[in-house]
Amino acid sequence: MTLIATRPGPGAARAYRFPQVVRRTVAGGQVVAAHLPGQNLAVALLLLDGGAGREPVGKEGLGAVLAKALEEGTAQRDATAYALAIEALGTELVAGLDWDSFQVSVQVPVGRLSAAVELMAEAVRTPRLDPADVLRVRDDEATALRMDWANPGPRADAVLRADLFGAEHRWGRPLYGDPESVAALESDDVTVFHSEWFIRPGTLVVAGDLDRIDLDALGATAFAGTGGGPVDRGGPIEVPLADRRRILLVDRPGSVQSTLRLGHPSPHRAHPDHVPMTLAGTVLGGAFTSRLNHLIREVRGYTYGIRGDFASSRRFGRFAVSSGVQTAVTAPALVESVGEVTRTRETGVTEEELEVARSWRAGQLSVELQSPRAIASALTTLVVHDLPDDYHARLREALLAATVEEVSAAAAAHLHPEALTLVVEGDAAVIRDELVAAGLGELVDQA
Amino acid sequence: MPDSGFPWPIETTRLDNGLRVVVSEDRTAPAVAVNLWYDVGSRHEPAGQTGFAHLFEHLMFEGSVNVAKTEHMKLIQGAGGSLNATTNPDRTNYFETVPAEHLELALWLEADRMGGLVPALTQETLDNQRDVVKNERRQRYENVPYGDAWLRLLPLLYPPGHPYHHATIGSMADLNAADLATFQAFHTTYYAPNNAVLTVVGDTTAAEVFALADKYFGGLAARADIPAAPDGRTVPATGRPAVETVTADVPAPRVYLAHRTHPFGDPGYDVTTVLATVLGSGRGSRLYQRLADGERIAQPDLVGAYGVDLAHAPAPLIATATARPGVTADRLRDGLAEVVDELATVPVTAAELDRAKALLSTMWWRQMSTVDGRADTLGRYATQFGDPATAADRLPAWLAVTAEQIAEQAAELFGADDRVTLTYLPEETS
Repeated sequence: MTLIATRPGPGAARAYRFPQVVRRTVAGGQVVAAHLPGQNLAVALLLLDGGAGREPVGKEGLGAVLAKALEEGTAQRDATAYALAIEALGTELVAGLDWDSFQVSVQVPVGRLSAAVELMAEAVRTPRLDPADVLRVRDDEATALRMDWANPGPRADAVLRADLFGAEHRWGRPLYGDPESVAALESDDVTVFHSEWFIRPGTLVVAGDLDRIDLDALGATAFAGTGGGPVDRGGPIEVPLADRRRILLVDRPGSVQSTLRLGHPSPHRAHPDHVPMTLAGTVLGGAFTSRLNHLIREVRGYTYGIRGDFASSRRFGRFAVSSGVQTAVTAPALVESVGEVTRTRETGVTEEELEVARSWRAGQLSVELQSPRAIASALTTLVVHDLPDDYHARLREALLAATVEEVSAAAAAHLHPEALTLVVEGDAAVIRDELVAAGLGELVDQA
Repeated sequence: MPDSGFPWPIETTRLDNGLRVVVSEDRTAPAVAVNLWYDVGSRHEPAGQTGFAHLFEHLMFEGSVNVAKTEHMKLIQGAGGSLNATTNPDRTNYFETVPAEHLELALWLEADRMGGLVPALTQETLDNQRDVVKNERRQRYENVPYGDAWLRLLPLLYPPGHPYHHATIGSMADLNAADLATFQAFHTTYYAPNNAVLTVVGDTTAAEVFALADKYFGGLAARADIPAAPDGRTVPATGRPAVETVTADVPAPRVYLAHRTHPFGDPGYDVTTVLATVLGSGRGSRLYQRLADGERIAQPDLVGAYGVDLAHAPAPLIATATARPGVTADRLRDGLAEVVDELATVPVTAAELDRAKALLSTMWWRQMSTVDGRADTLGRYATQFGDPATAADRLPAWLAVTAEQIAEQAAELFGADDRVTLTYLPEETS
């Protein structure tokens, strides 16, 4: 054998640095930028307080329809002319939303950035929103959701969310709405939502070589014609835990896999346990080497992959485990997954596991924050959650300093295996009896 | 217009055992990307062994002589790294990006599984990863609407015996029949240093990488007689269209049109790349403008065209559309075919060409914006074309494509007799 048996240790660690952050106030709006010297590509992203959390109950999907409608022509040009103009710069207009914000962005070679921002602002601030176009976009979006909901997953996600948060609240309904909620939207809903949230200046996020970018000029373009100040964003929402564990069964006849979605509410993003919770989630299910993936995939071979994590927005959060497992092993996979959540709550994490988790999370900051797109996304985190410029450097330190005691305490405090909602989407006729016999909790069939 | 698509240094060497080493230094971030391309893919699989190259990729993460089962992942993630591997018809690649101080660890791990996998490979590991791969097949291909389209298109495009006839994921029957001895032989045959390219990009120097490569890989033996895959560069014309219609549990009719073009890397395939962008990329593309916007027979999010970048036989161009409610599959198929046919008869305008080239430029620079994107690109060009520096030529080649070349290619290759048409129809609901 001609292999070297001794595993090499690390060389000298090199300093981690997040790019220099530049903040400006321009024309009534905020510009937040990161300097990427020598980078050919640049990203500009307009961040608006128009996330799904701003949609009224019963109007789910409004932001998603507006995102598409922005490209159906502007005050200056029709949809075709707009598409040709922006794509001639080498970018498409990327528009989307999460619970906390609405984001529109362009990605171009740096020399074309100001032209791209002009076109982005034109679509965001002065879309045509012709009622006939809006209704057609709405119908297309409803169709697209029907297509998506034919896949395994979206129905299970919706059932879990409604059970965790309550379907009477906006945050208890799907982020992008469902086919029925979108189909029921009117064109006025869209124009009103636009006038309420898309005329306020918002924040322009820029990632690129700032030596070749005029931030003041970009800001002036992005914020021209805007008005209105920030609106109160509301505080964290108290979400009660369930008083018992239940299985919610969603029938998918003939399915060769069962889709698992296990979850319960967890703290919002600004909770002081954010870092130890993240690490506890990583040990349990956040990495390939985590407990869930090790047992369910690498030991049992039940699945191609399984993950579990804590996710949070400004106002609420949830812990969830998700996987697709072979139909025949649905019940054992569910039992063993709940078992790993329980074990992690009761006995915490080991130093060996935590060493991997904290190094991985910290190292990912230098490994994954490379492209202008990734840097722009990191900047939006600063803006949405009111974090300081040195947040990423501090986060790295906090991750590396977390102890077994702190992370185990977070697992004990924030994992609730007895309050889990266990959503199973699969062939009910095949798996129902086994799920009942598994003894995990009452089984409730979903419509 | 840039003269080069790769304005970074490239240094190369070849170890005595044939391992090619490519290094591109970039001190911007304290990270390095390590990427190994093995010149073995599903095109090498004989009948009865489909899916073996990909299943083998899984086994490479399950331990080797000095690395315990599951330790590979743990060590890379414990170093703060990202890692993965992919298999396609052409090749298998393995890659990790790590903080720069862990470069040596990554090279040690790669060398150990290149040179020391066979003694560590057990029946238990094979059985477990076979189950994982079968679940991957269920999740990606069997349990989702239209999920088997690629599995159906390949045998329509390439005849039995052709190296691209079968899909990389393989068949359940072949996966079930896989035995340990076959996999041990597979490694011995193909995972040799002279069948691989090691690329490192990022916060290091060529001298450091060359020395470490020699230290960890230098003792591995070359293999003299690595069998070639069947030659697939000539695909005999059948003289008739290939048509398949599937009735399945799908939410709407969908049509795929496909043609064989040129191998990736040939000048003709640069034309295909630009043509596919004109045809089906973005809201300004012909398919979107004609079918989603103009006639409004196709769903806007699900219309498009793309080339599949395969290098060892004429690569496929695929155009697809999904029907809006109330639109029949026949109407959609006719509409899609009409737009593809017009590539030969309605000249591409300067504005269409500029739009496509601008989108391709951004796509190229996005791939180049990370050390891992650059490492994979250099590994590809070293493996498939013998010289990583030729990566710099791709973007200029795209930018030089003319409207005339697009019309010529469409006229030459997209005739009815060379067309593959795959149609999905929803099951009757009563």
